[in-house]
Amino acid sequence: MEFNFVQVILVFIVTFIAAIDQFDFTESLYQPIVTGPIIGAILGDMNTGLVVGGTYQLMTIGNMPIGGAQPPNAVIGGILAAVFACSLGMEPTAATAAAIPFALLGQYGVTLFFTLRAPLMESFRDAAIKADTKRITVLTIISEVILGLIFAVIVTLFFVAGQGVGQAVVDAIPAWLNTGLSAAGGMMRFVGFAILLKIMMNRDMWAFFLLGFALTNIVAAIPDLSSPTLLIMALIGFGIAFWDFQQQTELKGAIADGGDMSDGI
Amino acid sequence: MASNEFVVPEQYEDLTPAPQVDKKTLNRMVWRSYWLQSSFNYETMQSGGWLFAMVPGLEKVHTNKKDLAASMYHNLDFINTHPFLVTFVMGIVLSLEQNKFDTQTIRSVRISAASPLGGIGDALFWLTLVPITAGITSNMAIDGNILAPFIFLIVFHAALFACRFGLMGWAYKLGTSAIDALTANMQAFTRAAAIMGCFVVGCLTVAMGGTQINLEIPNGSSRSIAATTVVVSNKEAKSYEDLEGIDTEKADAGTIAIADKDGKPLTAADADGNAVETGVKDLGNGLSSVTYGTVTESPVTFKVADTLNTVMPKLVPLCLVLLLYFLFSKKNFTPMMGIVLVLIIGIVGAFPLNEWFGISWWTGLW
Repeated sequence: MEFNFVQVILVFIVTFIAAIDQFDFTESLYQPIVTGPIIGAILGDMNTGLVVGGTYQLMTIGNMPIGGAQPPNAVIGGILAAVFACSLGMEPTAATAAAIPFALLGQYGVTLFFTLRAPLMESFRDAAIKADTKRITVLTIISEVILGLIFAVIVTLFFVAGQGVGQAVVDAIPAWLNTGLSAAGGMMRFVGFAILLKIMMNRDMWAFFLLGFALTNIVAAIPDLSSPTLLIMALIGFGIAFWDFQQQTELKGAIADGGDMSDGI
Repeated sequence: MASNEFVVPEQYEDLTPAPQVDKKTLNRMVWRSYWLQSSFNYETMQSGGWLFAMVPGLEKVHTNKKDLAASMYHNLDFINTHPFLVTFVMGIVLSLEQNKFDTQTIRSVRISAASPLGGIGDALFWLTLVPITAGITSNMAIDGNILAPFIFLIVFHAALFACRFGLMGWAYKLGTSAIDALTANMQAFTRAAAIMGCFVVGCLTVAMGGTQINLEIPNGSSRSIAATTVVVSNKEAKSYEDLEGIDTEKADAGTIAIADKDGKPLTAADADGNAVETGVKDLGNGLSSVTYGTVTESPVTFKVADTLNTVMPKLVPLCLVLLLYFLFSKKNFTPMMGIVLVLIIGIVGAFPLNEWFGISWWTGLW
């Protein structure tokens, strides 16, 4: 099926917006249930787009971006599923399935992008040192535009080039490189953790770091508690910190009161 | 990379508490908080967007340019919280900034308040609100109801809007009202905040540390004999009985036998893993039940991960955090150098040395 210039441009714009929206702003316009009918309308068959959007949406419900994990990318997947259904006349479920390799490709792409975007933080730090608040805004915009453009270009290319390309590209990436990059992506947060530790750590604090580490290992091993783990740990940590705070302040109070303990019994 | 040697002072220069931040500025911060993940990356996660959202408030409370720089710099620390609940953390942190708390205290409070919200937010939004609204509306969409996307968007955003604005105002008030009690015991509070902060980083190391060494080193193979029972005619059973006895230690994998080389029955494991003896049993109706054994050979691998887990689960994340901490605090590593190091470890660890150089035991670290 041939697409006219206006359609290509519109798909480009929709993807650009959806790509940014998937992490920011409304965090819901990108959902397939919304992009489906929009793409459908662009391609002249809103109803098919709506049905595909709904079908894809149901599939993604179990695949939310929880805990920083990247699910198969719903922006690319949802948009291309609608494209396939509307332009190639595929059944909604078949179109959804055909879009999966592209969604996986999007997932790799996002992981790679988040890994490679880390150096951008250097520019943020430079701006912070100069107290340049305008520059922070500019960097934020640049950062978003790059993300939007990458997605829009990729989706538009696939949109024009067609279905077989997605699988070919997925196959062309060496598996080991992909593994290595996602491993590095998973380890990068440790850089952030270590910097935080450097700020807060002194000799007295090692025990609390290790305590948090050990207790979380226990809680995380209990399947029922795996989802609220961090909340549980925060409450325990708060209890310990609060107790320490009371110890410190009561000690001070006790000296001021001449050693009279406060409970008054 | 000289710029990274910037050291955040322990205290701001201007220690006079700033006047209360007006509602308009708070609202600007809430609107900016919609872009929390604008610079999301794997090093400091949401820090860029966080700073972007904090800027209006920070500008108001830090009139001293040097203080503003210090504050902006430390607001770029690692942070990962829930985008829909972030205004709660923003309100608390703003109240601390306004009252010119020690920078270290602010940093500790921020990471402690931000981290646990991730789980609450996921449970509230991604696991409850979205599945319910999207579940209902996608069924409407499949039935061709064009209202579906609109209902989804309206319900979702009404909830978010209320959350963001409500939490901002409440947290800021909460923070400022608690300030007096806290400043009276500043030292103890700083200490308590650092305890909580270190504790939370320890928790994050486990909860967000997915790194594991998945190297599996081939370690020979194990042999066993699998039992199969069939019912055949007596004549066919004879052919089983005539099978050559095997040396159980040496026979090739796949060899079928009913006796060992001394003619004694074999002990084999059936499908459920129970030990059975091989042999032929005449069922009396011209049929025989034959139990024979098949020599199987399965490769044994030495899983590095299993060994590491018996020492301590999440040992790899712990070691990496400690290594990086050592490099940052003792070796003057900059964050950028840390990132490059991690990239190298990741990619080199994944090199397919088995394909490139024929190192057969290497299957990649990850």
